[in-house]
Amino acid sequence: MPQADNPRALLLEFATGDDLLAAAGRVREAGYRQLDAFSPFPLEGLAETIGDKATRIPWFALIGGAAGALGGLFMQWYANVVSYPLNIGGRPLASWPAFILPAFELAVLGAVLAAVMGMLIENGLPRLHHPVFEAERFGCASDDRFFLWIASSDPHLSYPAGRAVLDDLGAVAIHEVPA
Amino acid sequence: MASLPPANDSPSVDPTAKVAPDLATLRHRLASGTGRRFWRSLEDLAESDDFRRFVEAEFPAALELSETSRRNFLRLMAAPMMLGGLAACGDMPDEKALPYINQPEILVPGKALYFATATLFEGYAQPVLAETHVGRPTKLEGNPDHPMAGAGTTDAFAQAAVLELYDPDRSRAITFLGRIATWDAFQGVTVGLRDRLRENKGGDLRILIDTVTSPTLRRQLDDLRAAFPQARLHHFEPVGAALRHQGTLRAFGRPLDVHYRLENAAVIVSLEDDIFGPGPSQVRHAAQWSQRRRDHQQDGDLTRLHVAESTPTLTGALAGTTLNAASQRMPVLLANLAGSLGVGEGNTAEAALTQGEQAWVRTAAGELAAHRGIGLLALGAHLPADAQALAHRVNHALGNAGVTVVYSEPVGLAATDEASALLALAEAMAAGEVETLVVLGANPVYTAPADLDFANRMDRVSLRIHAGLYYDETASHCHWHIPLTHPLESWSDARAVDGTASMLQPTVKPLFGGKSVHEVVATLLGQLNATAYDLLRETWDACLGGDEKAWRQVLNDGFVADSVAQTEAPAPQGAAAEVSLAIGVPASGEASGLEAIFRPDPCVWDGRFSNLAWLQELPKPLTKLTWDNVLAISARLAEGLDLGAGDEAELTVKGRSVRGPVWILPGQAERTITVFLGYGRSRAGRVGDGAGFNGYAVRTSAEPWAVPGAALRRTGKRLRLATTQNHATMDGGDFVRTMSVTEARAAHPDEPLAPTFYPQWEYPKYAWAMSIDLDLCIGCNACVVACQAENNIPVVGKEQVEAGREMHWIRVDRYYEGGLDRPDRTLFQPLPCMHCEQAPCEVGCPVNATVHGPEGLNQMVYNRCVGTRTCASYCPYKVRRFNFFEYAATDSPLLQAQRNPNVTVRARGVMEKCTYCVQRISAARIEAQKEGRPIRDGEVVTACQSACPTQAIVFGNQADPDSGVSRRQQSPRQYTLLRELNTRPRTTYQARILDKASDGEA
Amino acid sequence: MADERAINPQAPAQTVPLQPYASVSDQIAMIPLHYPLRRRWLIGLGISALFTGLLVVAIGYLFYAGVGIWGINSPVFWGLAIANYVWWIGLGNAGTLISALLLLLSQQWRNSLNRFAEAMTLFAVFCAALFPIIHLGRPWFFYWLLPYPNVMALWPQFRSPLVWDVFANVIYLLVSIIFFYIGLIPDLATVRDKARGRVGQVFFGVLSLGWRGSAAHWQRWRRTYRFCAALAVPLVVSVHSGVAMLFSVGQLAGWQTTIFPPYFVMGAMFSGFGVVAMIAVVLRSTFRLDSLVTIRHLDLLGKVLLASGLMTSYGYIMDAFTAWYSGDPFERATLFDRFGGAYAWSYWAAVILNFVVIQGLWFGAVRRDPMWLFFIGASVMIGMWFERYMLVVTTLYHDFLPSSWGWYVATFWDWALLAGTIGLFFFLFLLFVRFLPMISIFEVKEVLREERVEARHAPSR
Repeated sequence: MPQADNPRALLLEFATGDDLLAAAGRVREAGYRQLDAFSPFPLEGLAETIGDKATRIPWFALIGGAAGALGGLFMQWYANVVSYPLNIGGRPLASWPAFILPAFELAVLGAVLAAVMGMLIENGLPRLHHPVFEAERFGCASDDRFFLWIASSDPHLSYPAGRAVLDDLGAVAIHEVPA
Repeated sequence: MASLPPANDSPSVDPTAKVAPDLATLRHRLASGTGRRFWRSLEDLAESDDFRRFVEAEFPAALELSETSRRNFLRLMAAPMMLGGLAACGDMPDEKALPYINQPEILVPGKALYFATATLFEGYAQPVLAETHVGRPTKLEGNPDHPMAGAGTTDAFAQAAVLELYDPDRSRAITFLGRIATWDAFQGVTVGLRDRLRENKGGDLRILIDTVTSPTLRRQLDDLRAAFPQARLHHFEPVGAALRHQGTLRAFGRPLDVHYRLENAAVIVSLEDDIFGPGPSQVRHAAQWSQRRRDHQQDGDLTRLHVAESTPTLTGALAGTTLNAASQRMPVLLANLAGSLGVGEGNTAEAALTQGEQAWVRTAAGELAAHRGIGLLALGAHLPADAQALAHRVNHALGNAGVTVVYSEPVGLAATDEASALLALAEAMAAGEVETLVVLGANPVYTAPADLDFANRMDRVSLRIHAGLYYDETASHCHWHIPLTHPLESWSDARAVDGTASMLQPTVKPLFGGKSVHEVVATLLGQLNATAYDLLRETWDACLGGDEKAWRQVLNDGFVADSVAQTEAPAPQGAAAEVSLAIGVPASGEASGLEAIFRPDPCVWDGRFSNLAWLQELPKPLTKLTWDNVLAISARLAEGLDLGAGDEAELTVKGRSVRGPVWILPGQAERTITVFLGYGRSRAGRVGDGAGFNGYAVRTSAEPWAVPGAALRRTGKRLRLATTQNHATMDGGDFVRTMSVTEARAAHPDEPLAPTFYPQWEYPKYAWAMSIDLDLCIGCNACVVACQAENNIPVVGKEQVEAGREMHWIRVDRYYEGGLDRPDRTLFQPLPCMHCEQAPCEVGCPVNATVHGPEGLNQMVYNRCVGTRTCASYCPYKVRRFNFFEYAATDSPLLQAQRNPNVTVRARGVMEKCTYCVQRISAARIEAQKEGRPIRDGEVVTACQSACPTQAIVFGNQADPDSGVSRRQQSPRQYTLLRELNTRPRTTYQARILDKASDGEA
Repeated sequence: MADERAINPQAPAQTVPLQPYASVSDQIAMIPLHYPLRRRWLIGLGISALFTGLLVVAIGYLFYAGVGIWGINSPVFWGLAIANYVWWIGLGNAGTLISALLLLLSQQWRNSLNRFAEAMTLFAVFCAALFPIIHLGRPWFFYWLLPYPNVMALWPQFRSPLVWDVFANVIYLLVSIIFFYIGLIPDLATVRDKARGRVGQVFFGVLSLGWRGSAAHWQRWRRTYRFCAALAVPLVVSVHSGVAMLFSVGQLAGWQTTIFPPYFVMGAMFSGFGVVAMIAVVLRSTFRLDSLVTIRHLDLLGKVLLASGLMTSYGYIMDAFTAWYSGDPFERATLFDRFGGAYAWSYWAAVILNFVVIQGLWFGAVRRDPMWLFFIGASVMIGMWFERYMLVVTTLYHDFLPSSWGWYVATFWDWALLAGTIGLFFFLFLLFVRFLPMISIFEVKEVLREERVEARHAPSR
């Protein structure tokens, strides 16, 4: 009697991406909010459908890049003009054209690192274990199956109306994620 | 008073090492064994722990033997040899020597002491100041106070003398039958010998000696003759100038030395006389010539030089007009020249001359006639005595004698009579008339002409005694061998080529406990306890009247004041007509046998320097070859015989033959083959052994200089030669600029600097710069060796030079203009670092290892260099040198003793280059700061500059408008190498002025 | 939904033939898990390990004896080491560039190639990175090129192109690794879920950072991935421009023309596509991946190869033209020396292998024939190596002053390094195909889905 101990969440399994997208849309209309969806490859618009707010990754990248560029330029200026000024081949101490390339490289490094960090932080990765892995069919989520996650705490599950919505979503199966 | 510290305090040396008794056997294996075998044999021999430790320390390097074998071998073997050697040196009494400048009481480490002394070359004194650091001579400079012209400078040989002092291969022990013996034992032998000699008045005693100029030795030899009237003295100098004396004997009735006065000569006509080539007089002639040239560069009245020669020489390279003719044509040319000048009529036979020869003779004769009294007819010392005599007559007739050429009593012990020639000795030995033979210094077994069969004949002598620096070929044929002391470590005296008596005082205790030649002769005289010092004092007390002050002055100056030879200009005796010049071969070009001529090697001379790595690796001035001698032939002959440079050929002369690599020499007479002597030695030492081929093997006593009827055959083998310059022409560039006299007089074409984006860095106080006047450079190489000695520049060995990895900081580029058969011009260009103000090299370096100093020096920071070689790749002048292997650091302790303590020794993987002798700049700055004054102009003298006999190189502060270098830069001939690159070099050049005769104004 | 799983026979020209998603996963993910051909793989690995050993020996002796064991001298202070470096870094530039550029242009066909292209990049850059270090006279001080606090209070000399290269290469390597890894994470998750053995599960589980493929994951992942791609493209350009500066900062003839940076970047792309083509053909036939790496892929590769080849040839022409047009005697001398001098063979080898041979790619038949494509790719590889050799040697051995002109002959140890690095490259690549999914699984699925959508509408029209 699985319903007895109330599960952490319901996991609706779909055969195709289209089904998942449609279903996600419908449950959202029905007022569900505590949703998540899993697919073997990115599905256009899925995140928006289940109401995921936009990411701040570009900002991370921008800051990282700027830091790299300015830091690079400053380091080279400081090294050549302040810390250890030397006459190199009669060139000026602050040879800006020569400083551009290292600065650019550092900018790229800063941006990429920041972007990746941002992605991992926002995604809460690495997280080696997650309750959803408890669902035995979930292994297919990385292969050819599509899943919709509805947290048990979502109030709509308790309303019969809300319950009814789930029945004709075209889910291949409905699994429960144990608590 | 300087108490000279012992030399054997260098690190891994323990005088108590007991390897000495094995040295003799060691030497025999050395002669036979290959590198590794010899190494083994040494290991077996070694008893001392030092030696074992040394082996462990050094053994890794032995694996490299294949890489740079000869050189590594030298490193490896040096120290173990030394352990034995030092064990053999006993206590020397402390004699008094006077340092030149500094007070000897304070022997401050890091502070150099200078001793005025001299080195010897062909017996003549080469006055030098020896720079010593805590008792170690490290560098030789000229002695500017010495009266001989150019004495303030040196040639390449004098620079290398300090290396000879430290040569680990110098003989280290008295040997009898190849076994270590003692001085006492030798003296014991002489006692018995003397008794016998007293009975037969020395009838069976022969002494063979090379040129002697030492007053003390001459005194001793006179004593010897007095003691044993029947004893015979033989003189032999393989190159020498004996024929000159024959010539004066013919002309003036007595042997005389010939001294040129080139500072007075407006016209020089030279028949094969290599006036500016290597030799005892090179420095003097170069100085005289450049003095006049410097005076007249502005007015354009420059010395004009017309040379006829069979093989190119430095003199020919300077000449306005050169004629290439077989050496044996010279008498004929001379006869015509003399005839057309009205001397010795009847000798003229212009018909016998080719077009070119006639033209040259007319020009030369015209010039001489037009410059009576200020012309000079110079004749090669190797040309027949008759010809020499005729030349003297010509100079006398033209009134040149006394002005451009003067004569003096022979400075060296003259050998004019056949009786004292080497030939006489050889015959006497063959006839078994010689019981006792004493060889002092000479090395006849190697240098004697082949026809004398000297070695075998010598073996018939029942007692053979040899005294020399090395255990050489002759030593190995003698019962007794006594190691002589090096000039830099012994008391002696000698005369310079101008006759000035110069004093040799030790700068260090004898490294290997050798004996002075004076002591050897004294022993023969029975003076068993005489020391060289006593004998020397004995001589000079007689002259100086025992005046201690005067003696000190002599030691201080390094020479005896006013002891220069009295010169005169005697009138010729007899009539010129008697001189028979019937000799002479058909004009060159006609079908006739080839002519083989013999010349000393410009770097190792007659072979006496062949164990000096510096000279072996010194590029020969014209061929730029190193480590080898060659058979030089003309391009035409090469085509005819299908020979290319490096092909081995067999030269056959009068039934004797020798094999060697040929080299195509532009300007070589078509059918003349030049054999360079001094190579192919078997007992020179680990550096010299096996290098090149032995030219003496085809030399004959009858015709020691030129032999007709030679044959050259291609063997089909190719030999590897190491040259430092592969490309001989400028390919349309104007790297060495030339100007006509008129252009040279034109106003200074003030070239504005090309525009630049970079800021002007200011060098307000000092801006060091160098100026090289190509019009004065004679390409003599003195600067190259001087730089090597001053800056601890390693020798890399033949294989590495071949790979293009020579390390010289200054190189002398040689370019030809004109045809291969007879180049119009041979140009030299010394090339140190340019010290560019906008240096491409510095921009390339990723680690700030080469940066610009506040005084404009392009500095190398060795310990910062990681060896990316970017700087060298970017350098447009390719003056940077890279340590591809560990070249320097593993040198033997003995060679390390020569190192300049003020110059870093560079490690493997580090870039290096000319520093403008920055250590000398700092030294000068310290002195200046102590006295609270700016550095004076001329206070900083770079090594290359101080060696240069023509003062072609000037160094100084270009921020000071009155400095020598600034004035040089105002010259109308001033130019910058590769100016279009806008690197703004501090090293600049002055264009060479072309001889009027050659720029068509004659 | 049935039609979505149906395989439509007369679907339009497809990148990947329709097939169930699962079959994609199986085909690719199963290779690391149950490796099909162990013997051949082991033999291959053995041979490449042998050459890697040679590399170790060559470097060991080099460090013991010094760079003198090479053929370098004065004036040719740089030899094979630098030529190899430029060659490898060139190859290293292609993978990331292809992957990133095509991603931004949303060229779907890239998805079957990008993974091993990126892997190839990593290994090539790794080989390249060896040379700047070992070619030093004192390699144990290589870190002096990096800015770090030191007792000498010294900094690197930032005007030196070598320092630029240090920055460019190190950062390029890092970014490439990140780009590669980010792209790999979802597939690692797939392999994790496919894995049956505990070891496999843990290994891939950790590597995949617990990837769940949730909508939010995908969204942010995608942003980041495209972002990295967008940065990688200019990075690649800057890296090879920096390499070009290594030469053109000097004043030597033949290294000066302003076209050098683009010229080098083009050459890099060109050689990179050459390798990718070769590898694609080999993997395709070895692992029977015809359905994933299709003829169309080869065809497209051929076209790109031809295009980049022609751009490189343009570089040759302009380089020669500017040298001639400058009228500078030294520039001209070097140019003509390249045409007819002692090392002309290297110049003409480059021209023939890089220009003449690729003309075959004009013909579809050639492009679609794996064999031909393979050989053309190979010729490009070799041709580009000759070009690097020519650029380094011909300029150095005859520079300004004839007195310092010299020669260059590579020694055994020079060649040993080249062979050794090639061995190392294959060694790493074999490990890659053995242990990681060599084709991007999820991206192929993405393509499949879109084609299904197309396919669905096809009959209704």
